[in-house]
Amino acid sequence: MAATFQYPFQCIKSVERRNSGRQLIIGSAGPKIYTYAAETGERLGIWPETANTAEAKAAPSTTGEEPPEKRRKVSPPPDQKPEDSEPASQKSRKPEASPAWSTIPILAVSADGEYVVAVTAEDKCIRVFEVEENGALKQLSERQMPKRPSAIALADDDRTILCGDKFGDVYSLPLIDTGKGSVAPRAPAKVRPDQPAATTLTVHSKRNLASLEQQLRHYGQKDKNSAEEKPSSTFEHHLLLGHVSMLTDLICVSIPMDSSSEKKRSYILTADRDEHIRVSRGPSQAHIIENYCLGHTSFVNSLCIPQWAPEYLVSGGGDNYLLVWRWNEGRIVQKVPLVDETSDSEVAVRGIWVTDKMVLVAIDGSAKLLCFTLESDGTMKAQNSIQASGNVLDLTISSKDSAVLVSVDAVHVAGSTQEWRATPSSSSTLIEAFRLKSDTENVEWEPMSEAITSQVNSQGTSEISATLEEKQKKELNDALYSSGNLRKKNLGEDE
Amino acid sequence: MTPPPAKRQKRNEYRKANTAVADDASEIRLPQKKFYRQRAHANPFSDHQLNYPLSPAHMDWSSHYPAFVDPEPSHTNLAGTRKLLKDVEVVDIGCGFGGLLIGLAPLLPESLIVGMEIRVSVLEYVTARIQALRSQQQKLRSSAIPSESSPAAQQPQQHHQQQLQATETAADAASPSSPDATGETLSLVPGNYQNISAIRSNTMKFFPNFFARHQLSKIFICFPDPHFKARKHKARIISETLNAEYAYALRPGGLLYTITDVEEYHHWVLRHFGEEGADAGQNAGVTELFERVSDEELEKDDCVRVMKEATEEGKKVTRNKGNKYVAVFRRKADPEWPA
Repeated sequence: MAATFQYPFQCIKSVERRNSGRQLIIGSAGPKIYTYAAETGERLGIWPETANTAEAKAAPSTTGEEPPEKRRKVSPPPDQKPEDSEPASQKSRKPEASPAWSTIPILAVSADGEYVVAVTAEDKCIRVFEVEENGALKQLSERQMPKRPSAIALADDDRTILCGDKFGDVYSLPLIDTGKGSVAPRAPAKVRPDQPAATTLTVHSKRNLASLEQQLRHYGQKDKNSAEEKPSSTFEHHLLLGHVSMLTDLICVSIPMDSSSEKKRSYILTADRDEHIRVSRGPSQAHIIENYCLGHTSFVNSLCIPQWAPEYLVSGGGDNYLLVWRWNEGRIVQKVPLVDETSDSEVAVRGIWVTDKMVLVAIDGSAKLLCFTLESDGTMKAQNSIQASGNVLDLTISSKDSAVLVSVDAVHVAGSTQEWRATPSSSSTLIEAFRLKSDTENVEWEPMSEAITSQVNSQGTSEISATLEEKQKKELNDALYSSGNLRKKNLGEDE
Repeated sequence: MTPPPAKRQKRNEYRKANTAVADDASEIRLPQKKFYRQRAHANPFSDHQLNYPLSPAHMDWSSHYPAFVDPEPSHTNLAGTRKLLKDVEVVDIGCGFGGLLIGLAPLLPESLIVGMEIRVSVLEYVTARIQALRSQQQKLRSSAIPSESSPAAQQPQQHHQQQLQATETAADAASPSSPDATGETLSLVPGNYQNISAIRSNTMKFFPNFFARHQLSKIFICFPDPHFKARKHKARIISETLNAEYAYALRPGGLLYTITDVEEYHHWVLRHFGEEGADAGQNAGVTELFERVSDEELEKDDCVRVMKEATEEGKKVTRNKGNKYVAVFRRKADPEWPA
């Protein structure tokens, strides 16, 4: 018996195509992106195509044996470092080669539903796809960023991608690659000087002087073969702002200048691992910091501004509470506890989303989706939560009927980010759908059994063997539940 | 890094002896630098064990500036500690052993000045030094009050002059037995060093936790770690992205002072404030928030003189006959929002 799990959807997005009005669901699972028709759940495409021809041929109902070549799709050993050997502009990947990444941790969709932006983890690439007529994804560009992207947002009416990275910098890139080289202001600094910056006037110790002498010799030699310059990145990108800390979330928002004016002002909100939320002006003036929202005592992982109440921000992370802000003033409106005051268990907020009237909050490694209403004074009121059958990984809200489509982790035991389920269930659950009961006063959720969920679940994604080595299991744990690693621990005694 | 046991033991003994002296209070001695030396670099990207306030409104400044505490006890900040009568408005980023603070204190007696330093031992030294200076001033004041113009009061002044000359050359020298020889304290100075203090912090990460928007009138960055290797340039304290944070904390019209003995770093500074390089004069990005202050204006600025002469690094550079490159930038007002 083949004991296999299915890769759960790490990201799931609902897409409404403005031109045709068609609804799609896209999800990333393992190294692939899947697209589905929202009404029927019919699978429309898988990217990358070349690596899964066998699977595309498989009938939707097969959940049995698995073609042997899929085994290779588990993440490459870390010591191979595929991202370093892979040039950014590699267009013709050999069809047999497994992709250079094992997960796709970020997906973003343009407001018009015509473009999808994805980040592939190990090779640090931002990939832009066009959604084709038939629903398949066609890659338009791949741009390798200097550091691994950790947050993506679209700005300027979808014309610009904002990308925050592990080192805290935020870059802007045109959605459609212009093919022009980068004109980043840092470029002149990268030009190699023809002599060391240190001189005998600035270094004095014996050791430093010795190494300076060596450098001088070294520089002399380099003049001869200075031709081998490392090419700087070949696409246009601009550094907008930076934190000296890992950037964890990034949103771009426009609000009216004042109540009487039609004019809007745009802002970029960025969160980092060192508890900060920074409010900067929009992309053209992102170097002007308007204020900070300071109130978290652990990393901030998720920012959310309801489109129907854009003056409020809900933020969460490694603290056992959420904060509601009037972000433009940097003022805390409310501290919302996530666990009992008495419990000292550590929680990490996985994500915060809004429906047309609710705020939904997922906790890392929890099958319960917390649900709040945002009152007119900006305070949040806890409502009945949604119980999924496994840990909530991501969710998306269907724009058509406000159904909440939840991506569920059927690999791990519900409530744990480490422990795998003993035996894979015969047909694993990938997504579940919920809607508000319409006939009750209170907020009550009911599961929906729609074509989309059953169809998506029965088609599956690609499979993971249940008999993986511990090391490989841990890699998948870390890929799905990375926020635990954001917590500061083992602070060494400084001296 | 574990220091060799002998070194650690000596330091412990020294500190124990010091507290004993402090207890009997008959004699006020300045700390000796040799017991506080520490490796010159700290990794700004790692998670240190740091204390920093949740926000500027949570910062307890009252323990740092007891002479400036608001006499009304009910005036407290968000963390419940006493408020000050005024805000801290001058910052020395990377204050090292505190030479600039002590030089600035009498120049700006009405301004609260804080030094920020990431190295634990060095910070301990600065704190002990300021404490000792304050006590000396206290003592001088109590002895000077009865006969302010008597020759007795002037005598220390002369002594001070002599000592200054004597120590100028030996100030940083490693002569093991010399007591810390910053003799500038034997006369009363304006402000009595009540207006300076130092805190341990990683300013690259936590600057906005300490200072609110437009709170500061001056920021000093003196002889920053040059991080010679190009690979380490991202650890430099001056960068496009950090300059945006300095601009946030500086009020329009406020000044950011830089001095370095590394010519390449000086050009780096000029480039990152838009005075040199491809963007010179284009006002792109953060450079539009700063303008360079002219040399004529700097000549009249005593702070520049102190920056060149009073800092430990400045003295060392003078001793080694190195160059000093000064660049000062004025914070311009924020531009209009884009239409």
